[in-house]
Amino acid sequence: MRPLTPRRIAGICALLAGVLFIVVVFSLQVGAYPISVRDVAMTLVRGALGHWNSIPSSDRLIVFGLRLPRIALGILVGAALSVSGASFQALLRNPLADPYVLGVSSGAALGAILALVWLQRFPWAMQGLAFLGALATIAAVYFLGRRKGQLDSATLLLAGIITASFLSAIIMFLMTTVSGRDMRGMAFWLMGDLGTAPAIGLGFLFFILLIGIGAIYTTSSDLNLILTGEQEAHHLGVNVPRVKLVVYASASLLTGLAVSVSGAIGYVGLLVPHVMRMLFGSDYRVLIPASAIGGAIAVALADTLARTVVAPTELPVGAVTAAIGAPVFIYLLRRRLA
Amino acid sequence: MNAKQMNAKQTTREVIDETGRHVAVPVAVHRIVTLAPNLAEIVYALGAQDRLVGVSNYSDSPPEAKSKPRIGMPTNPNLEAVVAAHPDIVLITTEGNRRETADELARLGIAVYATNPHSVESMLESIEHIGGVIGATAQAESVVANLRQRLNALQSKLASAPVARVFFVVGESPLISLGEHTFIADALRYAGARSVVQAKQDWPQISLEELVRLNPDYLVFASSGFGGEDSTAKQLAELRSEAGWRELAAVREGRVVVVSDEIDLPAPGLIDAIEKLARQLHPNVFEDAAQHASLRPLSASVPAHAHLQFTVSQDSCTEALACAR
Repeated sequence: MRPLTPRRIAGICALLAGVLFIVVVFSLQVGAYPISVRDVAMTLVRGALGHWNSIPSSDRLIVFGLRLPRIALGILVGAALSVSGASFQALLRNPLADPYVLGVSSGAALGAILALVWLQRFPWAMQGLAFLGALATIAAVYFLGRRKGQLDSATLLLAGIITASFLSAIIMFLMTTVSGRDMRGMAFWLMGDLGTAPAIGLGFLFFILLIGIGAIYTTSSDLNLILTGEQEAHHLGVNVPRVKLVVYASASLLTGLAVSVSGAIGYVGLLVPHVMRMLFGSDYRVLIPASAIGGAIAVALADTLARTVVAPTELPVGAVTAAIGAPVFIYLLRRRLA
Repeated sequence: MNAKQMNAKQTTREVIDETGRHVAVPVAVHRIVTLAPNLAEIVYALGAQDRLVGVSNYSDSPPEAKSKPRIGMPTNPNLEAVVAAHPDIVLITTEGNRRETADELARLGIAVYATNPHSVESMLESIEHIGGVIGATAQAESVVANLRQRLNALQSKLASAPVARVFFVVGESPLISLGEHTFIADALRYAGARSVVQAKQDWPQISLEELVRLNPDYLVFASSGFGGEDSTAKQLAELRSEAGWRELAAVREGRVVVVSDEIDLPAPGLIDAIEKLARQLHPNVFEDAAQHASLRPLSASVPAHAHLQFTVSQDSCTEALACAR
């Protein structure tokens, strides 16, 4: 493999960004309401120039009111889940680690549901409690996953699975206490849905996303060393506790962010980093940005499928990622074993 | 603000919907979208079906509604399809739609009127409200007056009859019944019945053992679709072959009733379902009434029926068709 230069990293990112751009244009164009590529382009150009009045009102509503915010949300969620998956995989030195397997998503979901039940008036409560839930869960799982002071891979995954099922039980209990109307919303949100715009601005959510990914990116060289073993990394001068703290907190922030706006969208954090590793190697300096853009592509595409496959009925995007993700995962696993 | 919005402002009026939202509704409503089956049924009952340009999936009552463009499931409607239908107003219900859907549509500048039917009485009020919003006030008043008259006739007929203790089966496995604050619990009261389940929760899960202990007079099942008499017989035969169920006095003595799904649909057809259920739960009362009716051809309930020919005949037609099939 060629040496990893900044030039090569930029090249890979540009390539993926190009793919993402194509996916966005494609997603903007398809849907229950037919709009031609030309009309989408015209609408975008006129919108960008501020000529709102020259756009037909339904085109404007559908492109700027519905499709664009939804695609942006998909990009946000995909990038967040994928980068947090890649980070957990490095820290735990376990390729099967992912926010869902570790129960971190369930912790975030529990936090978000608590906010829905008790703090509905505060738009920030959902994101805040989801983050705290994610952070508390990874701390608990980390603690439970240790044996004789050492992080044990199998024990850790089991701890994650058991924590997830325990948290799900609490979520089920909470859901029986709310009214039918609220429960419909929650059950729907838990399945993974990008059709509902979050209560707080997308711009601010992207700002948080960039902070989370940026913080993890600053540790990418250290993560490469930690992958070979914490002792070895320590001997090579890596401040292991500091790196772990930064990455756990940032990955929890990203998971909390994704879960609070979209519910449970599985397999993205597990699969996208895998695919990126196969394509571009396992150096975290390229893996982090590649996973971010790759995750954005995956979720934007999955959501486009979700809203068009059986239109006008819409599927939850979580069902689409699981339906595609599980077989791909098995294929990757078998290919590795072969 | 662009020209179109300015223009829209002059031709709208503000109303407060049943959930307390302030909605700017166009004075002249030409295009209506409904996001739940009962709302489509109400629009038809108000004679405004020509203005109905989109309905949610499974809006099958009246049968003509099946030919209207579908815009997705009530919990998850396709917002693009709603926008593309250019509605002047979108009708939603708290029983079936999500608050988020209303928020999204409002954000897109589409007028959303939410109904909140929690009892038979509030369903009747909803019909009047919808009539007012879409400009069919007179029709709404006459539809509601007739439905009320039928309910009153039923009440006076059932006045002396003992209240039937029923167990309403919402789902069989797991066994789910209903709480006291549900819409169906209220409908049961109008049919001269009372649910033996006393729960604060809307859809409580009940063990078979608890059902045996409650020992209801009647088991009431909601059919999916419009099951007739034969489905009651089939249901009874099935229950008699199942351990646990066949031990129930109601099953042993054949006191099992299957009502149409309309019992859970806050729409005019609900009154049909209530009447039919009352007939099955209190056969003695209605046998007497039938004898009296032959002596007195102009009984109190007859003009009400005659006046409501539009809605009633349509619904009974549905069932006749379903039975014929």
